[in-house]
Amino acid sequence: MSASHSPAETKAALHEVVTEMYDKIVKGEPPTMTLPVRTKNNIGFDKTLGVYKYGKKRSVRDATSLGSAKQLLRALHVVEFIEEMIDAGKSSTLREMYYISESWGMGKFSSQNESNNLAEDLEVVTQCLREDFKLRPEEDGARMIGNITLRERNRRGEWMRINARDDVGDSGYGVPYNVEEEKIELLEHDVNFIMAIETGGMFDRLIENGFDEDYNCALVHLKGQPARSTRRILKRMSEEWDLPVIVFLDGDPWSFRIFASIAYGAIKTAHISEYLATPTATYLGITSDDIEAYDLPSDDLSARDVDALKAELSDPRFADAWWQEQINMMLELGKKAEQQSLAKYGLDFVTDTYLPEKLNDLGLA
Amino acid sequence: MAGTAERMAKNQKQVAISEFFEKNKHFLGFDSLTRSLITAVKEAVDNSLDACEEARILPDIRVKITKLDDKKNIVELQTEDNGPGIPKRSIEKVFGQLLFGSRFHAIRQSRGQQGIGITGVVMYCQLTTGQKTHVRSKIATETSAAVVDIGLDTRKNKATKSNEGRELWELEDGTLKEHGLEVTCRMKAKYQRGRQSVYQYLRMTSIVNPHADITFVDPDGDVHHWPRVTERLPRKVESIKPHPHGIHLGTLQRMCTESTDSRMTSFLYKNFSGVSTRAAKQLLEAAEIEEKGKPKSMKPDQIRALIEAFQGERVLNGKPVKLLNPPTNCLSPIEELLIKKGLSKTIDSRFVTTMTRSPTVSQGNPYQVEVGLIFGDGMAADKPVEVLRFANRVPLMYQQGGCLLTKAIESVDWRQYGLDQAGGRGVPKGPAAILVHLASTNVQFTSEAKEALADNGEVMDEVRKAMLEMGRGLRKHLEKKKKMVKVQEKFELVNDIIPAIAEKSAMILKRPVPNLAGSITKIMGAVIAESTTAWNKETKMTDVSITLFNYTSRARAYTLLASWPEREGATMEGNDTGGRKEATGVWAWKLETLEPGQTYTIKYALKGLEKGDWTDTDVFYRGSQEVIGASKMDEKLLEEIRRQEARAEEEEAPADPVEHKAAPAQEAAAPVAVEEGPRPTSQQTLMGFGSDR
Repeated sequence: MSASHSPAETKAALHEVVTEMYDKIVKGEPPTMTLPVRTKNNIGFDKTLGVYKYGKKRSVRDATSLGSAKQLLRALHVVEFIEEMIDAGKSSTLREMYYISESWGMGKFSSQNESNNLAEDLEVVTQCLREDFKLRPEEDGARMIGNITLRERNRRGEWMRINARDDVGDSGYGVPYNVEEEKIELLEHDVNFIMAIETGGMFDRLIENGFDEDYNCALVHLKGQPARSTRRILKRMSEEWDLPVIVFLDGDPWSFRIFASIAYGAIKTAHISEYLATPTATYLGITSDDIEAYDLPSDDLSARDVDALKAELSDPRFADAWWQEQINMMLELGKKAEQQSLAKYGLDFVTDTYLPEKLNDLGLA
Repeated sequence: MAGTAERMAKNQKQVAISEFFEKNKHFLGFDSLTRSLITAVKEAVDNSLDACEEARILPDIRVKITKLDDKKNIVELQTEDNGPGIPKRSIEKVFGQLLFGSRFHAIRQSRGQQGIGITGVVMYCQLTTGQKTHVRSKIATETSAAVVDIGLDTRKNKATKSNEGRELWELEDGTLKEHGLEVTCRMKAKYQRGRQSVYQYLRMTSIVNPHADITFVDPDGDVHHWPRVTERLPRKVESIKPHPHGIHLGTLQRMCTESTDSRMTSFLYKNFSGVSTRAAKQLLEAAEIEEKGKPKSMKPDQIRALIEAFQGERVLNGKPVKLLNPPTNCLSPIEELLIKKGLSKTIDSRFVTTMTRSPTVSQGNPYQVEVGLIFGDGMAADKPVEVLRFANRVPLMYQQGGCLLTKAIESVDWRQYGLDQAGGRGVPKGPAAILVHLASTNVQFTSEAKEALADNGEVMDEVRKAMLEMGRGLRKHLEKKKKMVKVQEKFELVNDIIPAIAEKSAMILKRPVPNLAGSITKIMGAVIAESTTAWNKETKMTDVSITLFNYTSRARAYTLLASWPEREGATMEGNDTGGRKEATGVWAWKLETLEPGQTYTIKYALKGLEKGDWTDTDVFYRGSQEVIGASKMDEKLLEEIRRQEARAEEEEAPADPVEHKAAPAQEAAAPVAVEEGPRPTSQQTLMGFGSDR
């Protein structure tokens, strides 16, 4: 399975967007761009794919106001720019595109957020990936450590064989922004599961304590909200090697969302959920009941935290009973706790007690 | 014994002069090192302006301040003007004698009334540095200039002279100076920047003296120049006789004793304003004084009775004696257009509204209120607005909070006019400056320092009324600006963005660029008027252009109307599209039918104005479909303007200045019938009037 489109397919898809605008003008109407509504109100569970995808709601951006007309013009510039890159065999970062737009006159972006959003808009409308558009994100992927072996094509076009335990230093294997098959091939592994970890501090703690070897697993550092490539490589490892993915995060409303984006798909990227989401991923902790059960040092929920939790209650991705219970429990407690609060009981507590107990519950230890 | 008494009396006087200065320096303006410098500049500049005004010369004034000794705070002040100069023999009187001056007793609007003036500066210099003041004076009838160093003999209240002589006053370009005065003095003083500074004083002075050209060289050597913006000198002010309502017992007593009149009737008729022969007789009857009585022989209780009759406390047939108001031609307002120019030259901004109220009388004293408001990008938006206060063209720089003029500003709820104001009270915040000028023959201050005006209900009301009207103008301006932004956006949309989308999409798809007319009509769906008013440097005229765009799918027909400064004496040039006069200051063009997608442009230039006189043209329309960027013509307003014109013409007949308020016809015509509504005399008021209803 590949998410990629050929250059010809990509161009054709982009031309459809342009044609919509052109045809409207020919008909004597204001030009428009139609795209799915990208909010939680328009994502639904796709039974065949096992992930959340955008629903049928569409919004029409028409050129009757200055703001949206400029958006259309920008989209055209971006299309033109992508075509040029495809033809020239180049790629650029989203940030570079933002700066290149300086020369687009009236079509220039006023913030990078705007250009990122537009790139996503085009992905959503065309069903292509930004890799097809030759656009790459600024952020790098995650770090990985564990006895897994893969092949990566380096910038000279040569394949390199890398073992993410033996061939890397303490910082592990750095996941590149493109993890598709033309760039990375998963070769072999000797692990029982993959554990995705939110914070760098916890990732380093587990390595220092030798957790990956003791429990025969691969560790992936998510760096907060995981980049697309991180989610994609988790998905590939889970699917291609049939490995369980265990997610170990802080215990707060934002961690719940990180998990949802790994397991069910993120709202912003629901158009490519089937490539990014790992429906079999399991949330290990910190759960709301861990806060009480382990008597963890905690912070009071802020007003923003409470709002986020309430929003999650109506988010279709958290609709199942377990999540509803977890969210409500956190609201009742009025508390949140960080992964590293486990250090209350000593540096080894997490590897000697907490994780074994939790993994045992899941039947993995 | 007699000798001792003589000597003591003499001693007393010797001490008195310098002690008088020492004791009173706070209200003479020499209480701090910073203020002393401002006062010195003020005295010198006021003298120059007054002298030029009397000699009908357009003033060129140059002020230079040099730091001589930073540690001891010694500075040199040099002022130079192009006034008539002072004849050699008068120099010592002007500079060396306290309370010398002709304006002390005259009843008319004048700048300084203290009488201490420049002599105070000479004294201050002498007291603080021991140095004399160097004067160079050139009068037109002599070839050379007189030079002299002036000091003060405080014992004799007389000037001391030294280094007297004559020299040729050569200018930088080698020519000889025709006439003028230069004063150089050294004093203990401190130059400071900020709200209370020489810079601010000169800046404010230049605002209310638009006919003056002022240059200031500060201690850092930076040159600040406020150019002249009008060649018109202020109206020559007439002295008036006192009005019975404003006279005090002592003054009346003195007038009686000094009078050479043989009869009381002629004494009253000749020496007072507002008193006709009939009124004179009635006053005397009320005061129970014989008409034939000699003024010189009036007894104190008779004079008191007369004062009571003046005040209406003694009545005749149960009614106070009716007196005419004093004439108001003794006032010299700056006038709206010149305030506008003055403000515009010191503050770079977009919107200026000004208003000069009709002169009026309070307790026998004629007075007139003028206000100006400037709003725009050049000023800080989050700070209190700058309040510029003036009394008889003199900037008031201290005691802002305690001044009547400030209180009047504070009493207005500026929030409704688009400025920030916490709780609707106090000095508002916003990118604006508010100017208030009170011209009067008798300005009442809170104290001898003459920095704040004393409370007076009538004056307060006048200032408030003017403020409210300006506020309405500001609100209209802001609303209009908002509308303009929207229109501009639409224009950008259909003129730039949509064509770019069409071109780009055609290019990407490799197809021909489609016709845009349909899309544009759908997007705009309106008729839009766009107008520009801009100064043309080449032609020295104000170019106006009005374009009407029909962005609807139907043909439209309109009459367009535009405001123009006809009253200010402008003429319309190059108006090829014809049209006709609709009313004074309103021109109308009946346009042919405008087809969908068509545009029509009217162009003309306004001659006879200066830069900044006319910056905004109001566009009105007659027609069924709304025009974005123009206001629907208010026919009632037009009728009102025409009615006023008719009335003004009727009243153009020559009038006795005493019997009639001697004001220009348009002003005289104003209040009676439309007391509530503002007079359509300026472009802002026309606009405000038009859309308020």
